[in-house]
Amino acid sequence: MGNTGHGETFLFWVGSIISILGALGLIFSKKIVHAALCLCTVMLCLAFFYMAQGAVFLGVVQIVVYTGAVMMLFLFVLMLIGIESQDSLVETIRGQRWLAVPFVLAFGFVLIGVYAHANLPEFVGTDAANAKGGGNVQSLALLLFSRYFWAFEVSSAVLITSATGAMVLTHRERTVPRKSQREISIERFERWGKGEKVSLTGLPNPGVYAQHNAVDTPALLPDGSPSEASVNATLRGRDTVRGFRPLPLPGARRNGAAVASRGDAGNEEVSQ
Amino acid sequence: MSILAASSTTATFVAPHVEFGKLSPMLIAFGTATLGILVEAFAPRKQRYGIQVGLALVGIAASFAAVLALAGTTASVVAQGSVAVDGTTLFLQGTILVISFVAFLVIAERKTDQNQDAFAAQGASVPGSAAERETTRRGWQTTEVYPLLMFSVGGMLLFPAANDLLTMFVALEALSLPLYLVCGLARHRRLLSQEAALKYFLLGAFSSAFFLYGAAMLYGYAGSVNLAVIAQHVAHPTAGSTLLYTGVALLGMGLLFKVGAAPFHMWTPDVYQGAPTPVTGFMAAATKIAAFGALVRVLDVGLGVNSAENVWRPVMQAVAIITMIVGGVLALTQRDIKRMLAYSAILNAGYLLIGVTSTTAQARAAVLFYLPVYGVAIIGAFAVVTLVRDAGGEATDLSRWAGLGRRAPIPAALLAVFLLAFAGIPFTSIFIGKFAIFQAALAAGSPDLVIVAVLASALAAFFYLRVVVVMFFSDPLPQGPTIAHPSIAVKTALAVAAFATVALGVAPSLLLHLANNSAGILAK
Repeated sequence: MGNTGHGETFLFWVGSIISILGALGLIFSKKIVHAALCLCTVMLCLAFFYMAQGAVFLGVVQIVVYTGAVMMLFLFVLMLIGIESQDSLVETIRGQRWLAVPFVLAFGFVLIGVYAHANLPEFVGTDAANAKGGGNVQSLALLLFSRYFWAFEVSSAVLITSATGAMVLTHRERTVPRKSQREISIERFERWGKGEKVSLTGLPNPGVYAQHNAVDTPALLPDGSPSEASVNATLRGRDTVRGFRPLPLPGARRNGAAVASRGDAGNEEVSQ
Repeated sequence: MSILAASSTTATFVAPHVEFGKLSPMLIAFGTATLGILVEAFAPRKQRYGIQVGLALVGIAASFAAVLALAGTTASVVAQGSVAVDGTTLFLQGTILVISFVAFLVIAERKTDQNQDAFAAQGASVPGSAAERETTRRGWQTTEVYPLLMFSVGGMLLFPAANDLLTMFVALEALSLPLYLVCGLARHRRLLSQEAALKYFLLGAFSSAFFLYGAAMLYGYAGSVNLAVIAQHVAHPTAGSTLLYTGVALLGMGLLFKVGAAPFHMWTPDVYQGAPTPVTGFMAAATKIAAFGALVRVLDVGLGVNSAENVWRPVMQAVAIITMIVGGVLALTQRDIKRMLAYSAILNAGYLLIGVTSTTAQARAAVLFYLPVYGVAIIGAFAVVTLVRDAGGEATDLSRWAGLGRRAPIPAALLAVFLLAFAGIPFTSIFIGKFAIFQAALAAGSPDLVIVAVLASALAAFFYLRVVVVMFFSDPLPQGPTIAHPSIAVKTALAVAAFATVALGVAPSLLLHLANNSAGILAK
């Protein structure tokens, strides 16, 4: 065996080291974006291997579809969820991770041992197969639409299932029509008329400072105290309201302590 | 690179010959599912349930009619070598369709739970939220489950018929993906159900990866994913067998996961417990039939040569023994009826593996007989579980079942019939099935397996009978669960299941004869 050229051998050794480093980074990186980028590295290396072996179409698909489309969608989702959100690293079954190590090593050694002793069949390469249809893409198309047409057709069932499943699991239909701003305003005045404690002008925006301008930063009232109403009730409920530390001004009396992050919900409505 | 340049000598494309007749059972199933998706898109909400259930039942019946029409035709490999239509395929396809029909009757039940079926009003609403209460109050239903389950049925029809590993993999995904989804859609105890779905999905994806890795190894060995070509290379090796053994081991992991054999059984109890109970019944019966069909085809067609059999048989026998021990012992310790039935399903997978490892036509016939009788009984057992209800859904804890036999004699008696059948009491269908498998294993020269199986059966009899004792010989709880009155459809399903379980135990010859006739024919 082994009619690979020197160039391909060189590419393989360089690429395999990079892709294994990428795979290890995928597992061990603490930040999920780093993990995603490591996965991109692995996929790009795979694409180079495919192309070096004559599977040009597969290599391009690997880059365009997997690295390009799927991974970027994945990153978009990460950004929507919150880039800093981390999985809980608490093991529910204690010692599970350490128990996995010997098994993984054993499996790896078995595979390596097996391949080291393997008497592999003669290496054929893709050139002959590519030549059969008059090109890589053409040969692939011939296989896909004649020999494997049934598997190709059935995979459409899998695709319909996944599209429907994504809708079933995530699509929420409204049970009541969305209220317009006008309706919300009328409702607010009606409640105020009944003597409820509502803010007629709408609730204040969150604070915008040199340090922070996120929705979890409370706005300050004229007396310098934070306004509970300016932060979403959900954030207050979760206790994730950011504390505010006034900057020390020259000459001003420093009142030091950060504004307590724990909000007292009071009886102000903050839902809209 | 020369391949990048478009060549002028493009080979002419010849449109493949499609044997629509022989593929018709699968085409009808997939077509019904696709129609169901269109119904979901265009029919008004109020009419969807009726249309979907009717469509699914008609589709299954039509597909079964197509199988009947194909019965007796010569065994052949169709769809360019992708699908083998032979006696074994048709027997298993017919079985899957009958089981699915019975299971759909139970799945579509609405009378037991205040005019609601077993599925969440809206899968996307957060459990316990105002949106969930509002959609439930409005009587919304996730009618998408019917087309999804029809896709699953289509995949199951293809799985035991697949004649190459690529088609088998696509069939595996087509049958699994809808099940992952539907597992997460239970109406009650939704967090448990969602957890079950996630576990099933992650472990299922993992096992699919092993299957693919194994298929790649076998391709490296034989230069083809076609089972017949692999068999030729096994018989006349052109290279060392390292790739073959690695491939078989990895492929086996993927298949044994679907079968639910130890040590790949970890998902079974959690998924069986969390999934909506009618779906659990469907999974326990139909998935097992399809997966065993695929296992038989890979082992008998692709690796049925003596030199290969000598390698995989001891491994599979060890798996069978571990499966029976794990299933039997852990079932003893269960307090929840659904989990107990899950471990009983693992135990039964062990019995079936004995039949599979024996590889004689006699053993294959025994497996073919065992699959439908076990499938019908397990659907019946889970259907009874759906009837015993508390405020929060089904009362699955065994202690709540005390004295059920006095308060609701008919459901309790039906469950007792199914449990006695599982326990292998004579004059029940599963007794005959076990007997046939043990006999075939003895004839094939593996008495050690039979000894373990008989011991496991004795152990199993204890925990099946314990449920019967709890139901009939202990005092009813003062505030015990209520027994729902099912609709005529579920009554029919239960009656059919109980009748089949007893009748096939008293007069099994018809089905045995059919299984014997079907088992010998494997298209290569």
